[in-house]
Amino acid sequence: MIKTSSTGFRRRFTVAVVAALSLTLQGCGGGDDTVADGKPEIVVWNGYTDAQGKNFTALIDEYNQQHPDVHVTQLVSDTDHVLQKILTSVRGNTPPDIAYMYGSWSTNIAKMPKVVDLTEEVTQSGWDWNDFYPALRDAATVGDKVIGVPALVDNLAIVYNKKLFDEAHVAPPTPEWTWDDFRSASAKLTDSGKGQYGFTMPADTSETVAWHYLPMLWEAGGDVLNPDMTKAAFDSEAGVRSLTTLQQMAVTDKSVYLDTTNTTAVKLMNSGKIGMITTGPWDLATFTDIDYGVQIMPTYGGSDAGHQTVAGPDNWVVFDNGDKRKRAAVDFLKWVAAPEQVRRTSLATGDLPIRKSVGDDPAFVRQLDEKVSGTGVFVENLNNVKKSKPATAQYPEVATALGQAIVSVMLGRAEPGAALKDAAAVANTALDQK
Amino acid sequence: MSRRERLTSRARSLRSTFLPTDTATGWALVGPGVLLIGAFGLLPVLLSLKLSFQKSDMLSDGTPWVGVDNYRKLVDDPLFAHAIKNTVVFTALFVPGTMLVGLLVAVALNRSLRFITLYRTAAYITMAVSTITQGIIFMWLTDRDYGLVNAALNEIGIGSQPFLASPSQALLVITAMTVWGWTGFTVIVYLAALQGVPAELHEAAAIDGAGPITRFRTITVPLLGPANLFLLIYLTINALQLFDEVYQTTRGGPLQATMVIVYYLWDRAFVQFDAGYAAAMAYSLFAVILVITAVQFRLSRRFTHYS
Repeated sequence: MIKTSSTGFRRRFTVAVVAALSLTLQGCGGGDDTVADGKPEIVVWNGYTDAQGKNFTALIDEYNQQHPDVHVTQLVSDTDHVLQKILTSVRGNTPPDIAYMYGSWSTNIAKMPKVVDLTEEVTQSGWDWNDFYPALRDAATVGDKVIGVPALVDNLAIVYNKKLFDEAHVAPPTPEWTWDDFRSASAKLTDSGKGQYGFTMPADTSETVAWHYLPMLWEAGGDVLNPDMTKAAFDSEAGVRSLTTLQQMAVTDKSVYLDTTNTTAVKLMNSGKIGMITTGPWDLATFTDIDYGVQIMPTYGGSDAGHQTVAGPDNWVVFDNGDKRKRAAVDFLKWVAAPEQVRRTSLATGDLPIRKSVGDDPAFVRQLDEKVSGTGVFVENLNNVKKSKPATAQYPEVATALGQAIVSVMLGRAEPGAALKDAAAVANTALDQK
Repeated sequence: MSRRERLTSRARSLRSTFLPTDTATGWALVGPGVLLIGAFGLLPVLLSLKLSFQKSDMLSDGTPWVGVDNYRKLVDDPLFAHAIKNTVVFTALFVPGTMLVGLLVAVALNRSLRFITLYRTAAYITMAVSTITQGIIFMWLTDRDYGLVNAALNEIGIGSQPFLASPSQALLVITAMTVWGWTGFTVIVYLAALQGVPAELHEAAAIDGAGPITRFRTITVPLLGPANLFLLIYLTINALQLFDEVYQTTRGGPLQATMVIVYYLWDRAFVQFDAGYAAAMAYSLFAVILVITAVQFRLSRRFTHYS
């Protein structure tokens, strides 16, 4: 009697388990291979909104019309959090076919299963791989493996408020400016009574701080890591020189608004409270209330590193959902990244062109600059991208440590040399754990 | 056996087949719940325990066992020690602060006034404001150059303070913001407790000549014991897990001044992809919370009166 009851219970329990499991699993599903008639259906995850969203939707529609044998759909979600979502979907065996991912994640992406290796593919005719800007190819390559197709490129330049320069009787920045000129202009633009600052730097705890500092470090002749990426190299004469510039501006002249949350500076810039900001083309559209100009970064006198900037490239990453869908996904990207679509996307969104052949066309640059004033300088500035962020999985830790050193100096809590030395020690510990 | 008896017996045997015991019925009813909690609660808890003994970046397939390495690393990690210090300071300020403010507001609201429901609702509104909104409000209020708080300080002749931009003030601002955010909750708990204090005790004491302050001290406060205990434990557990407010405002900065344990854990796991290490951190925190709660229970048993 007891036995019967317990097996009966067990059986019913199993039924309940299966029922509940099938309920939960149904919620996770959705990775159908193909549609009924055998036509591959591929899904693209992206974070496009506004003009970018409209443009990309139009591209998909057009592609679907021209290619009746595939069906491309999209899922829009914030790119900041897409890596976590991808992680879950890959583990759950239902990744999208294509996802828009930040270039800074490349070394992590390369380690994920299911990511399609495109090394062979991009050498095929029709890709013209070397036409993508070098910084983009770098960000899409990890070791000797191509893990993505370039999707977007940015870089940093100086955006300045013309009215504030006029009021302070300072000549606007020119390509001949050195960082000394920059510093003295920033000091003259500062008016503490009006809550007005000459310059602003992010001062949060993220990698962004280091990212904004990289062009200065490189221009002074320095580097983040040694060539084989085993040791920190920013703890150098060039590192001290460039960080001292920031120290003099922030501590001595008090001409730098330190944006500790990295959210307010852009708003303050647009309210006419900040004279100069280093930012990328993505912010131009938000500066609606001011008359701004754009200029490339100043240089360091005596350094032969010249003008530099840092690029922020993003990629399309392909995931393996079977050969048929994989092929369809790669073909779609090939079309999206072709010169014609690149040109069209740029003009529709104000994004910089990812291909050099497009960016080198003066007629195109003029057209783009008319659309969003100042974008032309950013396109030309792509040629000043001479170095890339080190492609190592430890970069986030290295950049965070470097960022904290920069912030501590700007807050007047440390001297450049000592701060960089401490940060280098932290970075080296991280690199040793590789 | 009569037909009736046969039927009854058949019914009994049928019932014993399908509903053998009350236990089985019970399991069948709670089954789905147990399963869901098991799959989404218990299982992840166990898996992250396992993870804390592995090295994992959550991306690649290999997750080698590293024994207690992650835990050993924690002991030598100066940033973890710093995060613990910040968390302890925050908890020590936040828990008594919230309880005190909540009690004062609750006492003020525990009377019959015109529109009292309106006031009570107003006090609870801080609970309805999402952390994100709260963070944005406080960021603008306390902005170094353009915030209302500094404008007010300037009016009375005090210079502008950097607040969230200052390594020495940021944690205090976050504490103030969190106290504000939790006030509504403590007020509700204290209000309920205050209304459970029998009016006749107060009347009797008043007849015996006890003033309002004496009555509050000798009658109300002791009877708030269970509410105090609940709030102490609940707020402490929440304080040790501070994250949202930091994420929204300072992201652990400036200069790690607001780097608390859970934020550091998140940063390790989801920014630096060091999941094993983060899991070890989570388990250490769990152990600490367990111990603190047990100690609080034990200590307060002595001081808490339930009637």
